[in-house]
Order: sequence, then C-alpha cells, then structure tokens
Amino acid sequence: MSDSTVEPRQPAPAVAAPTALVELSSVRKVFDDLIAIDGISFQVTDNEFVSIVGPSGCGKSTLLRMLAGLIAPSSGAIRLRGRPLQGPARDVGMVFQSPVLLPWRTALENVLFVAEMRGERRRTYRSRALDLLRLAGLAGFENRMPYELSGGMQQRVAICRALLLNPSIILMDEPFGALDIITRERMGFELQNIWSASRSTVLFVTHSITEAALLSDRILVMSARPGRLVEVVRVDLPRPRERRTLSSPRFVEIAAHVSETIAGGWVE
Amino acid sequence: MARSPARRLGKPIASVIAVLLLWQFGLPHTNIPTYVLPLPTAIAVRLDQTFGALIGNLGVTASTTLLGLALALVIGVLLALAVIFVPAVNAVLVPVLAAFNGIPKIAIAPLFIIWFGLGLESKILLAFLLALFPIFVNALSGLVEIEADVFDLARLAGGTTMRIFLKVRLMNALPFIVDGLKVGFPLALVGSIVGEFIGGNRGIGHLILSGQFNLDTPLVFAALLLISLFTTAGIALISLFEKRFLGWRPSRRQR
Repeated sequence: MSDSTVEPRQPAPAVAAPTALVELSSVRKVFDDLIAIDGISFQVTDNEFVSIVGPSGCGKSTLLRMLAGLIAPSSGAIRLRGRPLQGPARDVGMVFQSPVLLPWRTALENVLFVAEMRGERRRTYRSRALDLLRLAGLAGFENRMPYELSGGMQQRVAICRALLLNPSIILMDEPFGALDIITRERMGFELQNIWSASRSTVLFVTHSITEAALLSDRILVMSARPGRLVEVVRVDLPRPRERRTLSSPRFVEIAAHVSETIAGGWVE
Repeated sequence: MARSPARRLGKPIASVIAVLLLWQFGLPHTNIPTYVLPLPTAIAVRLDQTFGALIGNLGVTASTTLLGLALALVIGVLLALAVIFVPAVNAVLVPVLAAFNGIPKIAIAPLFIIWFGLGLESKILLAFLLALFPIFVNALSGLVEIEADVFDLARLAGGTTMRIFLKVRLMNALPFIVDGLKVGFPLALVGSIVGEFIGGNRGIGHLILSGQFNLDTPLVFAALLLISLFTTAGIALISLFEKRFLGWRPSRRQR
C-alpha cells in the first residue's frame, strides 16, 4: 500500500511475549451475503502440527487461503511471526487436494519449480530437492514425468515441492482427499516421517478424523455456516505414532470426542 | 509394442497400389474421356516431362506458404499475448477480430492483389491471413487454460509475471500452438494457391490454372500430387517436433 499517511510506530511491548508463528484474531470472511468465517482466533507455534476438521462448507479452505495471503479477511487480523499478512505470503508452502504438477516437468523439476519462481538457480536447490524426494520414498523416480507416477507419488512430489524453500509453515488443503483409503493411510505415516525430519510447522485441513487424530498436536474443530471454531482438542499421544496407535484406547477416545464435537456443531 | 514403420505403412501402401491398378486397367473399360480422368501412367509421364517446371513452381508456392505461416505464428502469438496482458486490447481487438473472422477470407483475395500487386507479397499475406486465426485462437487458449492453483503456487513462491509467463504460460501454450500450426499450415497453402489463381504467373496454382486452360489434365494431377506430398512432409515435420519435445502430451505418451 502506497498510502502516504505515516502512523507513529507502536512502541515495543515492555514484556516480549513469545510470538506465535501464526496468529489469527477475530478473523471474519464474508462473500456477498454468505458468512464463510465468523470470528476465528487461534495461534500456531513453531514445529506444531495442527489439523482443522469440520463438516463440508465450514470454510476450512477459505481459512487456509487467507493464511496463505491469497485472499484477505473481511475483518480481523492474521499475523505471520508477528507481522500482518499482506498479499501472498512468501514464507508459506502449499499443498492442494490435487497434486498440481506441471505435466511437462519431471518429478525433480516439479520440486524445483518453486525455487525457479523465487528466482533462484536450479543448481542451488538440486541436492535438497533430491534429499526430499528420497525422504518421501521417491528415490529412483526423480526423472519420471507426472503421468508415470501414481496418485500417491504425485502428491508426495507436491509435498516435497512445498518443503523445498524451507517455509515457516506448510498449509495442506485436504492433500490426501483424492487418494484411495489404503494409500491415504500410508501417506499419513509418510507425512509424519517427513514432518518430523524437516521440523516444519503444518496446518492441515482434512475431512478425516482418524487422519487428524493420528498426525496432529492439536485439532481445531469447526462448525459449518458460519464457520466458527467450536473446540480445540489437544492430542497427547506419544510420538512417533504408529499403526498400533490407531487401536490404542486414548486414540479411540480422542477420535470419538472429535466426532461428537463435529456432530454437535452440525446439529446447532 | 511399437510396430516397425515398414509394417505400419504396409497396408496403406498396398491399398494405394490396388487403387492405382484398378484405375489403370479399369478406366479403359468405361467411357470416361482421358481429359476428364487421365490414366495413372499418363500422369506419371507428364510428371516426368514437366518435373523441372513443377518443382520450380512448387518452390515458389512453398516459400510464400511458409513465410505466410511464419508471419501468422509470430503475429498470432503476439496478438494472444496482447489480449492477455493489455485489457484494452482484449476489450477492443477481440470483437473486431471475431467480426473480421466472419468474412470469408478467400473473398478478400482480389483486394489483396489490388493492394499488394501481382508479386509474391500478396500471396504471402493471403497465406498469413488464412493461418492467423487458428494460431491466434489456439495460442490464446494455451496461455490461459491453466489451473488457478498453479498460479497460486507460483505467486506464493514469489513468481513474477515474467517468470510465470516463461515457465508456465508459454510452456502450457506450446502444444496448443503446435495444434494451431497443424490447422494453419494447409490453410496457408490455400491462401498461396488462391493468390496464384487470381494473379501472377508463378507458383503451383498458376501451373494448375494453365493446365485447366489447355485441358492438360495430367499436368493438373501431377501438380496436385506434388502439392499433397509437400503438405504431408510439412505435417510430418510438425509431428516429429511434437514427438521429440512434447512427449508429455496425453496423446503422445508411450506406454
């Protein structure tokens, strides 16, 4: 904004509170007459894995797009490392429901795409890209074209791409929504591995309560129309979480609780 | 399993030979006069007699066609770019172009002879005019038919308009532009030949017209044969480019 009015700088707070990585305060988004998001506030700290669950149409994707700076909130504020977000956030990695790979690029070239968009040389990021692909179990597939990869592999390439520039936060919008249930489960564990190895912060939108409970430190449960934050569920299961975590009593308890909360928000 | 070229071409070649044999030995039993439909052997003899003149004139037609096509490629892509990046051009130019496209472009040919003379210029410009629209329309589709998520991704990574243009839009448009060329190439040839029909004394169109005046039907057939070989070679060249550089296209994938 090239507004010429210069405001006096705010004095720094006397006691520096630990700045959250992401901070939403009373964020509201209205499309024409439809209230998509109605006053949501929450914080995400470094290295946290936070899921957002809720019924269809609760504005999860809208929330994520606002966090990326792709759309602006109607009111309220979003801060990234204490600084208000204006325009597309450059320190954000994004994974969509579909892989969004460029069909003329190999897996490796697709991962490097974001580096090229930033104006970096491919060479600088090549070894990191190869490491990420290996971490995602794609060693040997670096030079394959997207159409030669399965849906799950394509989505893993997309996750590597989101991680390449080492963003402060990775936003995932139902990244496994288009996969079959078996691949989906395996991808959950893969993501946990990649996440713990790369020490990144993840905000994960999903429809799957199992997925949310398995991966998250916290689950934000939203209600639909208007999208509101109903409850924040802390997932205190030990890490790394494994297949047998799925049948532990604590896991089942948490999943049931989230499920009931969503149902409650729905009836309301 | 990729079939060898010899096996792939076997059946078409056999059927062409069959048709030629039927033509050669069946025609004398009908009462179709030879000036209406000459025998294949008569066409071959005429092709041999006039080969030098045919090749020379084909060269003229080929040059005007390819120059017109090249011009259509450059202007067509530039117009598509202008439409995308300059909103005023989009608002003004697109309706004008759509209206202009409604005129049968062959009908403009006589005007082009008046404006640009009997030389090669009028033929090049006619070839250009006919090839322009398919290339322009295809280039435009290729530059805009891109998932919105791709742009979001590029912008989040810090992509500038120029980088997005070079690495996303242009790459996406390439197969569309090639399709435009495939349609535009035979149309450019039509432009050149119609130009030669209307005015001038060079080119394969001129040769065909003189064949008509002299009832030299074998010459007309010989000219048609050569011109279709030229078109086939051109399309084959474009397909080769596709196979080499656009192997990722769904239609070109080898499984």
